Amino acid sequence: MTESRLDAKGWVRQQTSGARAAALPAVALGLVLVVLAVAQARIVAAALIGSGARPWLLAGFVALALARAGLGIAAERAAVAAGAAGRRRLRHDVLGRLLEAGPALVRQRHSGELAAAVVDRVEALDGLFARWLPASIVAVAGPALVLLAALLADPLAAAVLAGAGLLVPLGMALAGIGAAVASRRQFLAMARLQARFLDRVRGIATIVLAGRAEDEARALAAAAADLRRRTMRVLRVAFLSSAVLDLAMAAALVGLALHYGATLAAHRLAAPETALFALLLVPEFFAPLRTYAAAYQDRMHATGAADALADLPSVPPRPAPPPAAAVRTVAARGVSVAFEDVHFAWDEARGPALDGISFRVPAGETLLLIGPSGAGKSTVLEMLLGFIRPGSGRVTLNGADIASIVPAALARMTAWIGQRPVLFAGTLRENIRFARPEATDAEVEAASRSARVDAFADALPAGFDTVIGEGGYGLSGGQAQRIAIARAFLKDAPLLLLDEPTVHLDPVTESEVLDSLRRLAIGRTVILASHSAAVHAFPGRRLELRAGRATAARGAA
Amino acid sequence: MRALRRILALWRSEAGWLGAGLIVAMMATATGVALMARSGAVVATVLAGGVMMPGLLRFLGTSRVLLRYAERLLTHAATFRALADLRVWFFRGLAVRAASGLGFRRAGDMLSRLVNDVEALDGLYLRILVPLAGGVVLCLALALLFARRAPLLGLVVVALFLLAGFVLPALAARGALEGGSMLTKAAAELRIAVLDTLSGIREVRAFGAEGRMLALIQGRESALLAAQSRVAGRGAVAGALAFLCGQAALLAVLIAAGAQPLPAIGAAFLVAAAFEAIGGLPRAGALAGHAAAAAARVLEAAADAAPAVPEPDQPAPLPPGFALRFEAVRFRWQPDRPLVFDGLSLEVPQGARVAILGPSGAGKSTLAALALRTAAPEAGTIFLGGTDIATLAATDLRRRIGWLGQTTHLFDDTIANNLRLAAPEADDATLWAALDAAQIGDTVRALPDGLASWVGESGVRFSGGQGRRLALARTLLSPAAILILDEPCAGLDAETERAFLATLNAVAGGRSVILIAHRLTGVERLDRIWRLSAGHAVAAAA
Repeated sequence: MTESRLDAKGWVRQQTSGARAAALPAVALGLVLVVLAVAQARIVAAALIGSGARPWLLAGFVALALARAGLGIAAERAAVAAGAAGRRRLRHDVLGRLLEAGPALVRQRHSGELAAAVVDRVEALDGLFARWLPASIVAVAGPALVLLAALLADPLAAAVLAGAGLLVPLGMALAGIGAAVASRRQFLAMARLQARFLDRVRGIATIVLAGRAEDEARALAAAAADLRRRTMRVLRVAFLSSAVLDLAMAAALVGLALHYGATLAAHRLAAPETALFALLLVPEFFAPLRTYAAAYQDRMHATGAADALADLPSVPPRPAPPPAAAVRTVAARGVSVAFEDVHFAWDEARGPALDGISFRVPAGETLLLIGPSGAGKSTVLEMLLGFIRPGSGRVTLNGADIASIVPAALARMTAWIGQRPVLFAGTLRENIRFARPEATDAEVEAASRSARVDAFADALPAGFDTVIGEGGYGLSGGQAQRIAIARAFLKDAPLLLLDEPTVHLDPVTESEVLDSLRRLAIGRTVILASHSAAVHAFPGRRLELRAGRATAARGAA
Repeated sequence: MRALRRILALWRSEAGWLGAGLIVAMMATATGVALMARSGAVVATVLAGGVMMPGLLRFLGTSRVLLRYAERLLTHAATFRALADLRVWFFRGLAVRAASGLGFRRAGDMLSRLVNDVEALDGLYLRILVPLAGGVVLCLALALLFARRAPLLGLVVVALFLLAGFVLPALAARGALEGGSMLTKAAAELRIAVLDTLSGIREVRAFGAEGRMLALIQGRESALLAAQSRVAGRGAVAGALAFLCGQAALLAVLIAAGAQPLPAIGAAFLVAAAFEAIGGLPRAGALAGHAAAAAARVLEAAADAAPAVPEPDQPAPLPPGFALRFEAVRFRWQPDRPLVFDGLSLEVPQGARVAILGPSGAGKSTLAALALRTAAPEAGTIFLGGTDIATLAATDLRRRIGWLGQTTHLFDDTIANNLRLAAPEADDATLWAALDAAQIGDTVRALPDGLASWVGESGVRFSGGQGRRLALARTLLSPAAILILDEPCAGLDAETERAFLATLNAVAGGRSVILIAHRLTGVERLDRIWRLSAGHAVAAAA
């Protein structure tokens, strides 16, 4: 836990250093605004005392007011832009990592959780880029500028402001370990309660059906009350540091007012407008510090979100690209596949998933991989899809090492159908066309007929234009599998990889799907993994796997 | 905004805390402004030859610091109370209403968004009501102070103050209400694209569609960022206009200073401080717009939606027998969807082991939803022990039926606490017996913390198959007389599946077991098999 916290902090630091350039416009505008406010304070002081040419002073006041308003909008826009740029970069980075890590990652983590990382956690970092980062710079440079102006007007006023300003970090350090630790603890406790609440709401059906809704409601209330008591204990200390900020500002105001009151009464101050100017500078001096304190919450929020993002596994460095000469695509028609003494382990501790597998599938033939789950069937297919590389040994397509084939070319050569095809949000037609975006309508319809999609498509509310997938019309497992087969027909790739394509189907649907697959297999090299008895009737050579080894290879069944 | 008022009404029991926070906040705001105004006035008083009253200034400074500290503590304590009330109220409301059908549909994402909506209401008091109260007290103070000495100037200043403090925030709220729905839509579209890409990552990689999907996601992201930037831009303009109101008021004071310079000094400091104090109100207005939209969604889910199945006014007593009988049941999930059942009749005698088989989409899980009364048939009746279940209290009915669904949730808690959801009083030995029956006892024993091991969010610390078995152990622990197991073996490999089904033959002990599956392995000992097809159930040989 401590270690991951350090990781997250380091990660935040890394992110902020990357985003500093994007925050520069917001910082520059923030500093210009401080300078304008100081100038305006000068004019107000002069106009109140009645020195100088009034029309010019009032004109200057109006001009500065308009400039401050305009630049204020620009500063806010710049902050929003910095936030957008930071999030865009981060999201691109996270998505790239996820796509690169590929199916192996989705195997370990729920895709909903990963999507939340890409969407919500990155959104939660907006405050870090848009507000915290500019505020943390302006909080130092802004008061320094005000101090400079005070120094020019009255060194004593500058000394009072500087003294009060120094009180702020000093007070923060004195108020226990400071607001930082306290508010972090508060934030963590809040986040934990929030997570518990979300967890219980997600599982509310389970709770209600177990008849425990009232108990859980009471438990939630008790947890919240407990959190409140503990948090308030922390906050009583944490707010002391905010009180120091208030105290510093009140002390500066009162101190300056009394000082100038006394000197003016003794007629020792030549220009009373200096007194007004110095007093008007006090709020300007503390404004950046207050913005900074307010933005601290944004930073806490970011650390919470960063925990989840830093937690994503970093992608192992890609193996060095093979020498250019070896990069090749393999002849498009007819692919032969060979495994030569291939070893592979997902996790060294759990032993090898493939332990010296060798086989050869000539072009246009079918190999059935059979065996219980965990025997290594899926690992063989993932290797052919290029998701993983052999630990040792060689996998070749038409004699060329699979590592030397560029991923795009490999994707062009293969079609894959898994246990539960994913239907994307979109129409039925778009889902089939996913396999080959440039396909014509006629080609899509031909593929649909071959996969018998038309048999159920016509009964859907809008036929091929029915919206399916997330939020769309629900299809049965058999119908989804037919769409996957239509995709494979449309893609028309020479190598067909089938991973338990019927495992979730009932026997009737299974035999219909197998019938379509048999037609799809004609003229292609096919590798089919399954432990279903019905699939074993599929024509082809059989290879039985057990614990990562081939136990027996038999001829056509 | 009516939705916001209804949320506020929920907090009636915390009115004391919330009110105390508001009063202290108003006092703190007033002293803050008074301190600034008094500091300026000191200079004016001395110039006019008066006495400067250092005691008053010191008193204001000290009060300001103390009141701000008290304000922070009180308003935060009040917020925590209000927030806890809101969550518990929401949970209770959802438990009664939205729970129907939830376990049977993919609604987790919708629920997460509702939780975000509840969070959006957290700022209602601290970020909206408290600053607004400060604005009200300042407005009154300005009116009173100017009325005596400079009524005309006072009129101008108060009008500008009303504009900056109330009119502009109200406009910002309306803008946020409109922009909010646009933002929600853009965020939902981004989420769908990301979810599609990640859950379909095999498809994406196998079809070489990484570039296409990445372009799609980035397009949606750009749309979201553009929408956010439009909303933020409008907020910035509202803030700038409020700032200009303050500047205009100050200008009016400066012009008036030409005639009477000395009183103007105090007035200028007062006006500057007062407008500075309400500078955040347009932002609070925009927040209120978001909160109003969130409040409407929360109320709809937790208060307004009618429960899918109404409770009987006078629940019948729970019958002693527990034979389950469906008679001529007709059902569809929504009026525009095809019928799932049309004249379904089947019977599960007391203590019988029954399998219900059928192709996917035949309504096997719907059958469980009907039996648990999370959905009600259009026509026909379901009897438990001879009593129509529509006349029973839902809690009574569910005490009789234990359910393991496809989406049964594992909570982010210990294994023991997850199991005790079904049987709060169960001792450790009972828990171990259930774990063993579900074929996961050895795995749990091998964990360093045993029953105290943390399960993780939605059971992430366990594989899918292990998670299913934990959920199964929980169902077996339930004291219910009828167990409905919906595909209990999904995700188990063939050997574990056989071992589990063999155990199941032994554990039921007089209970009825309804096994929902798409095929049988041959190990199950069954009294009766029903096959679902075309909306009917057909008895098959056991």
